[in-house]
Amino acid sequence: MAAPLDVSPVGAESAPEAVTTGLSGLRIEGRSLGQIAWLRLRRDKVAMGSAVFIVFLILVAVLGPLLVQNPDVYHANLINSTLQGPNGAFGGISLAHPLGVEPGTGRDMLARVVDGAWVSLLIGFLSTLVAVVLGVLFGLIAGFFGGWVDTLIARVMDVVLAFPLLVFALALVGVIPQTAFGLSGNKLRITMLVFIIGFFAWPYMGRIIRGQTLSLREREFVDAARSLGARGPYILFRELLPNLWGPILVYATLLIPTNIIFEASLSYLGVGIIPPQPSWGVMLSDAVQNDIFYIDPMYMVIPGMAIFLTVMAFNLFGDGLRDALDPKTT
Amino acid sequence: MKRRKIFGLGALTAAAALTLAACGSSSGTSSTKTSYNEALTSVVDPSTQTGGTLTYDLSNTPDSTDYQNTYYAFMWDFVRLYSMQLMTYESCPGSCGNTLVPDLATGPGVVSDNGLTWTYHIQPNVHFENGDLVTAQDVKYGIERSYAKDVLPNGPNYYQVLLGDSSYPGPYKSSAGLTSITTPNSTTIQFHLTQPFSDFNYVVAIPQSTPVEPSWDTGKYGGANFQLHPESTGPYEFQSYTLNKQIVLVKNPHWDAATDPQAKQLVDKIVMNLNVNQSQIDNNLVSNFADIDAAGTGVQTAAVRDKLLTNPTYHADADNPINGFARFVYLNEQVIPNVHCREAIEYAANKTTLQNAWGGPVVGGAIASTVMPPNITGYQSFDLYNALSKPTGDIAAAKQQLQLCGQPNGFTTGLAYRSDRVQETNAAQALQAALAQVGIKVTLDGYTSGNYYTDFAGDPSYVHTHDLGLNMGGWGADWPDGYGFLDELSNGNTIATGGGNTNISEINDPTINGLFTKAANGSAAGNLAIWPQIDKDIMSQAAILPMVYQKVLLYRNPNVTNVYVDSYYGMYNYAVLGLK
Repeated sequence: MAAPLDVSPVGAESAPEAVTTGLSGLRIEGRSLGQIAWLRLRRDKVAMGSAVFIVFLILVAVLGPLLVQNPDVYHANLINSTLQGPNGAFGGISLAHPLGVEPGTGRDMLARVVDGAWVSLLIGFLSTLVAVVLGVLFGLIAGFFGGWVDTLIARVMDVVLAFPLLVFALALVGVIPQTAFGLSGNKLRITMLVFIIGFFAWPYMGRIIRGQTLSLREREFVDAARSLGARGPYILFRELLPNLWGPILVYATLLIPTNIIFEASLSYLGVGIIPPQPSWGVMLSDAVQNDIFYIDPMYMVIPGMAIFLTVMAFNLFGDGLRDALDPKTT
Repeated sequence: MKRRKIFGLGALTAAAALTLAACGSSSGTSSTKTSYNEALTSVVDPSTQTGGTLTYDLSNTPDSTDYQNTYYAFMWDFVRLYSMQLMTYESCPGSCGNTLVPDLATGPGVVSDNGLTWTYHIQPNVHFENGDLVTAQDVKYGIERSYAKDVLPNGPNYYQVLLGDSSYPGPYKSSAGLTSITTPNSTTIQFHLTQPFSDFNYVVAIPQSTPVEPSWDTGKYGGANFQLHPESTGPYEFQSYTLNKQIVLVKNPHWDAATDPQAKQLVDKIVMNLNVNQSQIDNNLVSNFADIDAAGTGVQTAAVRDKLLTNPTYHADADNPINGFARFVYLNEQVIPNVHCREAIEYAANKTTLQNAWGGPVVGGAIASTVMPPNITGYQSFDLYNALSKPTGDIAAAKQQLQLCGQPNGFTTGLAYRSDRVQETNAAQALQAALAQVGIKVTLDGYTSGNYYTDFAGDPSYVHTHDLGLNMGGWGADWPDGYGFLDELSNGNTIATGGGNTNISEINDPTINGLFTKAANGSAAGNLAIWPQIDKDIMSQAAILPMVYQKVLLYRNPNVTNVYVDSYYGMYNYAVLGLK
């Protein structure tokens, strides 16, 4: 039986704050919580790799369309006239078309994947923003005021969470007119998608914020502020909100990939973006039509990989961020 | 959600097909050598051998098995197994299949001098499946049933229009009967038209003229339930019909081959399985689990298409007919009033990319240069806009037309299409890309297919207010001659203002209208010269941009005998098939 009270000065106890390892020789100085989190994050190779990839993706989405060829130009000579698949192996990969060409049209796959990136990222980011704003606002109010306000908001969240959102989104996107709110075409579609996806994602954020607020509002610093005469809004936004940035940031990062997948599935079901604007979900949906992936598997693999890598990068970065900000929950 | 399920099943059945391919091919190569497209021009494996069970698969369900209540092309083909009409199409391969021959009648209709009365004499010795003799009154009752649109809504409305009595509510609500159809005796039936109509023989070839005994159309199998066991006059009768699942036909003992030479009674039993997954059907066909895909629209899954086109064993048993359906872009003459602007679109369109959008030259269709497809009686080939000589588009000619139209830098117009149909969406993009080359900027306006013709492309006021100069659509004829194909597309009197418009280009040309009037008063033979003239008139005012004459890739199961493509339907003639 091992000694129950082993007090030898080895193991974790010798370095109570793991943050200092690798910094020996440097002057010991006081660090803020933010600095500590940043150090932890920087040391997480997976998270940093994901971050680099996300930055790369954003650059591709913004600058890529200027660098690749026109995604809407047809190359009928590059496809097989009877079966409509690309000529050549691996979906017609060649120097001129590094990711091959689209079956049926011969449009350049690299150009279409790159041109589809901004759609996924824009919808992913903006719908997350909508969800975060709504979720934080209602979560704070519900958690802080409690009572019937809390009951009301919590039940609304339950209703939204229980809603068959895919069916609802399909119906809603199906009936939107060609022009509305002074917008038309893809601008209108993207706006609608952003608000629909955002509207269905906010309760997740709202519940987490509500829970955190419930525990924070009993803390001494809130009591102190209150005894000094601070009122509701001041406490909410000056005392509570700064302490919630950690969970907000983490769950926002984890919400982005969910929303990207939701956009892809809506596009896959034919209610997303208007052609010829490519989107990863639309490309996947085309590949599955009439089992075209049998004759050209690459047509499914390439947009599938794009979605997969993007979603994985955001997820891993979100995990890393959570570890850095809140090591207890790991 | 649903698509995902199909995708899963597709992968599963593909695996099954791989493992079963060996037994499929061994049983299929027992007889004489066949060749690709052989069934287009000749009968493959002619045989009088009887016995066996012929299996059809269908990916959905028929609109109705009631011959007075169906408008699906494959059902018009299939009902010949259990029904006879006054006239029908001759059972023979090639263009001969467009010939009308008497079926229940003893000869083609005799028209009165003023062109208003058509008289048919029916064969005196045809029996129903219960042994009763078929009379002219039964034919009249069958047509009366088709007026009961509240009970039987699906069929066409030609009798209502031609006989001028659309207010008659059908036999379930009125015991009076039609006055515009008379039966002087039990073998004579007369139709009294309100205006001459030379194509009337085609109208009575539609399955609505099948005889029905009023006593059968009551009780258990009355009205809407008639489809559960339609009274048979053909070689087969219903044994059972489990809705949404399976139809089983067995031999009709009271059928006489001598009175019905256009159909055959070879197999013992015919089974049609309903709601079978499409990729499962395709794999069932090539592995001999099913004999015919009832829908007749051909193999849909890429893997099976690949097999039929590249594997010589299967290739020899495939047919690739034109099925009489055409894919159009209607150029609205009100939205783009200048003929030269429309001609610029005709020239600039890249017919090759459009063809690829529909699936390419095999499963999509042949590049079209005329309104009528080649399997229509009265078709004549011409090529006004170099669709065949310059299939990738004639940019120089298009630019020249833009000059003449006064828009040398192009113009902007909208394109309506059904966004839930993949091929139509692809075609819309292809047209947009092609027209952009001459500066014509096309905005894509996608709609749902459910109300496409009632609220959007088929509603002229919507088309005008939304600047929809281009409208995608498809068209097939109710009978295979120029009138059946062209009238609803181009006769000025068919422009419907409230929605459901079929003349989407809004062609209202005195010359064309005059030709239709002339044809209605003429004779079928004399009209042969009129149809290509109307076709050319439509094309010369660039009112329709034909994309493809649709083609389908059919698999001719080697076990099935007497197989050939019925020219009008573009699918196998279901009335004559047997088994080895």
